Amino acid sequence: MTALLTVSDVVTSYGKIMALRGVSLRAQKGQVTCLLGPNGAGKTTLMMTISGLIKPQAGSIRFLDRNIAGASASSIVKAGMALVPENRLVFRDMSVMENMDAGAITRRDRDKVAEDRERLLQRFPRLRERSKQQAGTLSGGEQQMLAIARALMSNPTLLMMDEPSVGLAPLVVQEIFEVIAELKKDGVSIFLVEQNVHMALKVADHFYLMDHGRIAFDGAPDAIAEDEVISRAYLGERREAH
Amino acid sequence: MDSFTIGVVSNIGMMSLLALSAYLLLLVGEVSFGQQAFFGIGAYAAGIATVLWGWPLMAALLFAAFCGSATQLGVALPTLRLRGFYFSVATLAFAEAVRIVFELFRYRREVDGGLAGPDGEHGFRDIRYIYDNGIGTQDFLVLIWTLLVLALIAFIVLERSRIGPRLRMIGEDDVMAALNGIDVVRCKLAASAGAGALAGLAGGFYAHSVTYIEPGVFNVMLGVHTLAYGLIGGLGTAFGPLLGVLIDIGFLESFRGLSQYRMIVFGGLVVLLLILRPRGLLDEIAVNRLAGLFRRAQ
Amino acid sequence: MLVDLVQNTIEGLANGSAYALIALGFTLIFGVVGRLNLAYGATIMIGLYAGIFVHAEWQAGWMVVAATTLLGSVAAGIYVERLCFAPMRQGAAITAMVASFAIWMQLEEVATLGLPRHSYPFPPLVTGPAIEIGPFLLRREHLFMLVVALVVMVALEWLVRASRFGLALRAIAENPRAARFVGHNVERSLFLAFMLASAVGGVAGWLIASTDQQVTAMFGMWATFKGLVAAMLGGLGSLSGAVIGGLLLGVVEAYALWTFGPQVRDLSAYLILFLLLVLRPGGLLGQVHALRDADTRRRL
Repeated sequence: MTALLTVSDVVTSYGKIMALRGVSLRAQKGQVTCLLGPNGAGKTTLMMTISGLIKPQAGSIRFLDRNIAGASASSIVKAGMALVPENRLVFRDMSVMENMDAGAITRRDRDKVAEDRERLLQRFPRLRERSKQQAGTLSGGEQQMLAIARALMSNPTLLMMDEPSVGLAPLVVQEIFEVIAELKKDGVSIFLVEQNVHMALKVADHFYLMDHGRIAFDGAPDAIAEDEVISRAYLGERREAH
Repeated sequence: MDSFTIGVVSNIGMMSLLALSAYLLLLVGEVSFGQQAFFGIGAYAAGIATVLWGWPLMAALLFAAFCGSATQLGVALPTLRLRGFYFSVATLAFAEAVRIVFELFRYRREVDGGLAGPDGEHGFRDIRYIYDNGIGTQDFLVLIWTLLVLALIAFIVLERSRIGPRLRMIGEDDVMAALNGIDVVRCKLAASAGAGALAGLAGGFYAHSVTYIEPGVFNVMLGVHTLAYGLIGGLGTAFGPLLGVLIDIGFLESFRGLSQYRMIVFGGLVVLLLILRPRGLLDEIAVNRLAGLFRRAQ
Repeated sequence: MLVDLVQNTIEGLANGSAYALIALGFTLIFGVVGRLNLAYGATIMIGLYAGIFVHAEWQAGWMVVAATTLLGSVAAGIYVERLCFAPMRQGAAITAMVASFAIWMQLEEVATLGLPRHSYPFPPLVTGPAIEIGPFLLRREHLFMLVVALVVMVALEWLVRASRFGLALRAIAENPRAARFVGHNVERSLFLAFMLASAVGGVAGWLIASTDQQVTAMFGMWATFKGLVAAMLGGLGSLSGAVIGGLLLGVVEAYALWTFGPQVRDLSAYLILFLLLVLRPGGLLGQVHALRDADTRRRL
């Protein structure tokens, strides 16, 4: 197996507060890798660090055999990594179609772009129905779908998703995870941050448990019982409250 | 044309160039309260070039655009990473600092038997190039509008190229734009350089059109107008700022009864439009609709 | 030399307490709504001009003038809040700021149209000879102003930390949506906070004007800039930071005035603000939030 992404001993801090205290993990090609953990564990900070929005103090991040620690966000996207950020899903004032094209703005292969757009519209038929509509007027679930489609428009080698199910109704969450499962079947490599342990473990090939800026545990989903994962994550949250 | 009309129409041209500079920054989502500083720098630079150094007008205008562009780029380098209103306040502070520097700036030399040049708080008198060289105010008006039209054409070309959508993406959400692979810093720096050049050029025209500039002109009142033109007229097209200028100078300032209450009406208009149409009269939706009508008419 | 240094520090602290008072109102609004009210100085000026009007027209005494100033500021503050802040949807902080900028210019024009002279006399409050401490002089008005600034700071701090109203404000500042869900009337609380800030501004303006014994048409811009610099020095949103920032600005300006003269004094305030924003956007007492934000943007 080949590791697409290898994070080693990454440290990130905001002023004096250390948010990541030496994080190491891998994401394998063709797999769904999951990162679980309580609020404030540092998951979003890690995502922002990997995608180049925050610069790490120490450690290395290798993506496709290139060290990307400290590289700019735009160059990392061009290298083939696409992030679906949390809460910051779409360009609200642009139409659905414009949003999708925005995802492919750095691509040079124009005919392939049109092909990919067609394929994605087939996968997300509701986006086709609303293609002229302003993205800000879509429902939460639809915006999440659009965000995923937009990220896929850049034809990424690795798709990074930061809590795609947050704040969505259970039925919509179900739908999002169905999409993730389908993408996995198509061979898309995914790195997924989640709070919904149950759903995440269903699609994951490998998962990491994060707490207090460190990786507390990692293994295959069947290595450990689900309630054990939940209680660890939950205890993490309890401990932090003190 | 009588001299009053010439004055008003030239003024509209110069203010449109200045408004376009603020508009270019608004496109990438930066609200600058300081474009009057680069306007002022352009005015002083062009005046110094023709009066003290004996440069021809075109070279002086080019120099004004260059000085505006270079200083705005210099300011942009450290400030562009600031979030939203921190950037706005920084530009405001910079502009006020520049205004005080103008008050302290003395550069006097003997020209044709008299002292000329910027004289601190007394301003800079007798920038008489166009009068000394027999350029009529009407010819000067044509020159201003030629450059304005060129600038508008440049904007339209830009909007239709691959760069236009990139600028708008950055304007809506720069983090998202970066996550789509856009080099945000490079785009913003380019926009700043362009904005500075437009403001500087407008300033160069202004200095030669009024012949006397004083530091007090380049105050925040000018800044709020510059910014508001785009916000009123609309951010969907480069004609938006022009519409804003027409409303303000063509209408409010030119009617005697209204001009006294100009700022009261204008300020109210700005706020009303910000509430009702946050992206101005000619916003993206209106522009699309107009373009659709135009196509059908053809 | 040393005597001059101390005397200049005293003068600086005296002016600084005026800055601190204005900064308190600024920071209060920012702390709660996360928005910048650039019309703040102009609202205070409207209050002062109302005070001047009753003083000039009916020879009103200081109590009536003070009350009018306060009421005028609050009324102008309500006008600003209704136009620039209440109607702007969530997340439109910049739109609100631009709107307040436009209203600033509007209010300034209203004030100068109403009272067109360059400056107007304002009734003094505290008079009497300056207090002498050894070789140093301290004006009574300045001492009074410093005391008031500290009292207002402590009162506001108490209000925000310990009262029910303060709890509501903190909840809104933290998460307006959650505050709404637990039953806070967010709009009403914000409105009250705005009125409170305007009242603080009114007090500040009145004290400053009665110390200077005159008001000029430049007051609005002066107050907005000095208050903004002071509040940003201490970190926007921090009440004690506003006072520290105000005093610091006063002292720096006094030294600049002493060394280079009046124009450089004004220049120094703008340069401090500019450099501060570039180097430490979170203020001298920077916060994690601002740091993380600045870091992200530096990375773009």
